Amino acid sequence: MAEPLVRMRNVHKSFGPVQALAGVDFAVHEKEIVGLLGDNGAGKSTLIKILSGVVPATSGEIFVRGEKVSIRNTNDAIRFGIETIHQDSALVPQLSIARNLFLGREPLKGPAFLNRMDKDAMNRIAGELLVEVGITKKLAPDTPVSLLSGGERQAVSIARALFFDSDLIILDEPTNNLGVEETHGVLRFVRNARDSGHSSIFIAHNIHHVFQVVDRIVVLRNGEVVADDIDPASSTIDEVERIITGALAV
Amino acid sequence: MRATPPLVRWLNTTPESLPLILVVVEIAVFASLSSNFLSPGNISNLLAFTPEMGMIALGMTALITSGEFDLSVGSVFGFAPVVMWTLFNEGVVPLEVAMVIALAIAVLIGLINGLFVTRLRVPSFLVTLGMMMTVRGLALYTTSGFPQRTWRAESLMMDVIAGSFYIGTFRVYASLLWFIGFTLVLLYVLRYAKIGNWIQAAGGNPIAARARGVRVDATKTWLFILTAFLAAYAGITSSIRVSAANPNSGTGYELEVIAMVVIGGTALAGGRGTIIGTVLGVLMLRMMRNGIVMIGVPGLAYNIFVGVTILIMMALQSYIERRNPARAR
Repeated sequence: MAEPLVRMRNVHKSFGPVQALAGVDFAVHEKEIVGLLGDNGAGKSTLIKILSGVVPATSGEIFVRGEKVSIRNTNDAIRFGIETIHQDSALVPQLSIARNLFLGREPLKGPAFLNRMDKDAMNRIAGELLVEVGITKKLAPDTPVSLLSGGERQAVSIARALFFDSDLIILDEPTNNLGVEETHGVLRFVRNARDSGHSSIFIAHNIHHVFQVVDRIVVLRNGEVVADDIDPASSTIDEVERIITGALAV
Repeated sequence: MRATPPLVRWLNTTPESLPLILVVVEIAVFASLSSNFLSPGNISNLLAFTPEMGMIALGMTALITSGEFDLSVGSVFGFAPVVMWTLFNEGVVPLEVAMVIALAIAVLIGLINGLFVTRLRVPSFLVTLGMMMTVRGLALYTTSGFPQRTWRAESLMMDVIAGSFYIGTFRVYASLLWFIGFTLVLLYVLRYAKIGNWIQAAGGNPIAARARGVRVDATKTWLFILTAFLAAYAGITSSIRVSAANPNSGTGYELEVIAMVVIGGTALAGGRGTIIGTVLGVLMLRMMRNGIVMIGVPGLAYNIFVGVTILIMMALQSYIERRNPARAR
């Protein structure tokens, strides 16, 4: 099999006396959606914080396309193509969709000292991206994000990850607090992203949502991977729930 | 559903609409009660002292948009000219050099404010409160409380900063031109420049901004420096205009300036700022001070009018925001 897109090997993380991760091996392949499941305190959020550069691992190795890397901060993670989308903290509500999409990487035009944003290009690309990500409703790119629904905000975040060519998009509870329609929308955005060549890690409390979208399920319990190759097509939600709680050994 | 009337839509989507209406109403009221209010002499007089607070308000607008504010501007307004004129009067350096030193000290004050807020994570209220008292204390101590004389100076620079000329019979002050210049620069920065996007993002959601690689701390620090610089420049302008550098001048300006900015439609919590709104807010309060005297209300009543204006504006803005999510933060 080809080298995985991202691989973690024997990763440990301790917070003082508390061991959050106890030797985790975890991989995401190209064009794959991995569902990461586990009870509260199982180590899910620690794992993604390490991948997105929010906290460093205590020990262990991380490889991106076979090359060993060290992720010390969020900018490192973005440079290695890893984009994390949090439920609430990803966008600036007062800014428009286009301004959010390009925040931190605004295209400029004219002489450099004028520091002038290329608003035309920003609005045009934003409009195209919204269509690409699967937003069917007509949304002007200069609409402030504060006017968008939760699902539309997720779409903007995903569109941003697509545009800046993140190879791995980490979705942390993307369907929280969303209605049925909106949830379906977000699941569609994630599938569209995979079909255009991007991988995702999908974290959600709602196992039904995970089952609908992922290619493979990984389960964490007490800081260890207890199952890492569950095929949602050949397993039941009930089985996976029992693995999560430890009622069923793998 | 009924279509929204254009006026309501304009009120809902343009934060500057409400202050603009109030400015027009204010002009109408004062003009109808005092025949002199719109006389060339009074307008010229009004435009002589408006730019000074206006310059501070421009810097404060950008700073508040980034999620911070500065209480030390009034003290810097008083201290910078004291430094400049003391150095000149004591014969230490020529006037131009003294001005550069005074502005450099203001930049340093802004830098210290910025570093305390961004590095030590002390709230800007406390940092700039401390700086306000420190700087005012320095101004009083270095002058022993006495105003510094300015009338011995002869310099082209003084004319460029605070001189005046006549267009027909209408007296125009140079400070007005500087104020217009600063306004255009900041208007451009907040609307069109990349740094403007960073300023709004820093105030709107600093966590998200940082995650996108926006240098939030550097942005805020530069805005503290800009605000202090403009306060010092305004203070120097004022000292030339009134021919005295009083160590007590600018006392209380910080709150009046913040009031101007907020009345104009800038969100005190950050993330959304409007330079045009601030110019309207500055005009509103400066015309109020001038107008109530013109119509015969005792000047001591000025604060009542300002206070009530702030309360009315906030109530109207809150009403509009609650009815329309487009204005909500």
